[in-house]
Amino acid sequence: MAFTFSTLIQQIINGLSLGSVYALIAVGYSLVYSILLFSNFAHGGFLVVGGYACYFLLTQWGYGVAVSMTGALFASGLTAVITERLAYKPIRERTSITLYLLIASMGVNIIIENLFVVTVGGRIRALPQNTFPTGVFNLFGGVALSASDIISLVTAVIFLSLLQIFLNRTRWGLAIRAAACDIRTAGLMGVNVTFLISLVFFVAGVLAAVGGIFLSVRYSLYPQLGSITTKAFVAAVIGGLGSLPGAVVGSLILGLAEMLTAGFISSQMRDLVVYSLLVIMLLIRPAGFFGKTISEKI
Amino acid sequence: MSEKILLEAQNIHVNYGAIQALSGFSLKLMENEIVSVIGANGAGKSTFMNALMGMVKIAKGDIFLDGYPLSSQNYKVVRSGLSLVPEGRRIFAPLTVEENLKIGAFTRKDVSELKEDYDWVFSLFPRLQERLKQYAGTLSGGEQQMLAIARALMARPRVLLLDEPSLGLAPIVIREIFRELKRVNERGVSILLVEQNAKQALLLSHRAYVLQTGRLLKEGLSKDLLEDRDIKAAYLGQSA
Ligand SMILES: Nc1ncnc2c1ncn2[C@@H]1O[C@H](COP(=O)(O)OP(=O)(O)OP(=O)(O)O)[C@@H](O)[C@H]1O
Ligand SMILES: [Mg+2]
Repeated sequence: MAFTFSTLIQQIINGLSLGSVYALIAVGYSLVYSILLFSNFAHGGFLVVGGYACYFLLTQWGYGVAVSMTGALFASGLTAVITERLAYKPIRERTSITLYLLIASMGVNIIIENLFVVTVGGRIRALPQNTFPTGVFNLFGGVALSASDIISLVTAVIFLSLLQIFLNRTRWGLAIRAAACDIRTAGLMGVNVTFLISLVFFVAGVLAAVGGIFLSVRYSLYPQLGSITTKAFVAAVIGGLGSLPGAVVGSLILGLAEMLTAGFISSQMRDLVVYSLLVIMLLIRPAGFFGKTISEKI
Repeated sequence: MSEKILLEAQNIHVNYGAIQALSGFSLKLMENEIVSVIGANGAGKSTFMNALMGMVKIAKGDIFLDGYPLSSQNYKVVRSGLSLVPEGRRIFAPLTVEENLKIGAFTRKDVSELKEDYDWVFSLFPRLQERLKQYAGTLSGGEQQMLAIARALMARPRVLLLDEPSLGLAPIVIREIFRELKRVNERGVSILLVEQNAKQALLLSHRAYVLQTGRLLKEGLSKDLLEDRDIKAAYLGQSA
């Protein structure tokens, strides 16, 4: 493919738009990791719940976009809280070995996926065309900026800023930051740790749902959509596990790398480049850009 | 000091699997009193503090505050007025000094009165005020211990529990901290102090308990224990 300036700009726009969706997913995943120190593979399941909830609220029950999206965020947030209470809390209370949590989360992910296959079927669906404005702005040299790109970028910025304000300006936000450092001692401060963990899962679920809805609009909706979370995991690792700014930076890097590869090399090379980036990062800087040293956190 | 019992632990048993860390230890703390628990490594001192705070499960025994059973849930214990300065300080290193104090006040509903408490802990440990915006992890060991104590005081506890506050600190810093603990007590806060540094603890406290492998060895007035031949030999590093 020939190198042209307009292709470069176009792919940067596409990359940022994709990266912003990864960021929503990666930040929630990283937030859970920072508190419980395990990779929650059910995170993809939360995203799927968000996507389907939005789909059914819009198409079957005829609600408007605002109501459907809000409902989807709650559905996914609650799924995350219930998952934690039913599957993780009993394990947490018995052992401090986080490997069990990781395995349980893989199980939950498969359960959620298959619940959708069994109940609504595995076929590919799409959110209605008019869910978001579909306009396209033609910039110079054939560069197209679609309304959905703008919306996904703006929405990601809004949600991530809200999270930042919540963590830095509120009492529970401070408690979460303290718990990320030392959860037992946070309990000694009078923080109800059980509630705190539920709160963290709720927030992670909500962010996953926002990502899920954008993915369903951009691509399509199917029970295995959650597998895209792997990319968000990679982004979180590149940025530094457990670090929220790291998750955002890692996601944008990943989105850009994918789209630039697609634009200038070949679309088939996307994943190859992404996972090569991961391996290189692990080799030269295993803690990621913003991560604590691996000996502290694993 | 009044004759009213504030905190009472009766016949506390704690097991870690097959290990019996506490086998029937009892203790009383009066209102406004300073009580110390001394004992060697592994005697069960930290286990006792954690049992009071609801951090480890009690196999048998009861704990009362003001004559009422104390909750076994950590955050409820804090809300009912016990505040622990844990062994090894456990300050939140990536948070600032100010944020550490703020999280210490997490349970406080009377937010309008917090200013008073900040002023108070700064009067005890002026160095903290100079370092408010600094990350807690960058403080010296002594300053971290001061922060851990100040953080616990921000909850306005009725009982301040301290687990080896002198650990790893220079004698001059230990004296400074113990002097301020006396002032804390004079403000009406009862103190339960666990120490391997028996001398400092006995000099500060009114009464003391000697714990040995999970059981009571001796109890009495601190000034009497300071003169006790066995205690001198075993815990004060002096031959009798
Ligand atoms: N989490 C745990 N799991 C298993 N055994 C434990 C645990 N915590 C403490 N123990 C054991 O319980 C006993 C009492 O320990 P504890 O920490 O209460 O002693 P301590 O008096 O505080 O000692 P130190 O002065 O060294 O702090 C020890 O034998 C210790 O090995
Ligand atoms: Mg100890």
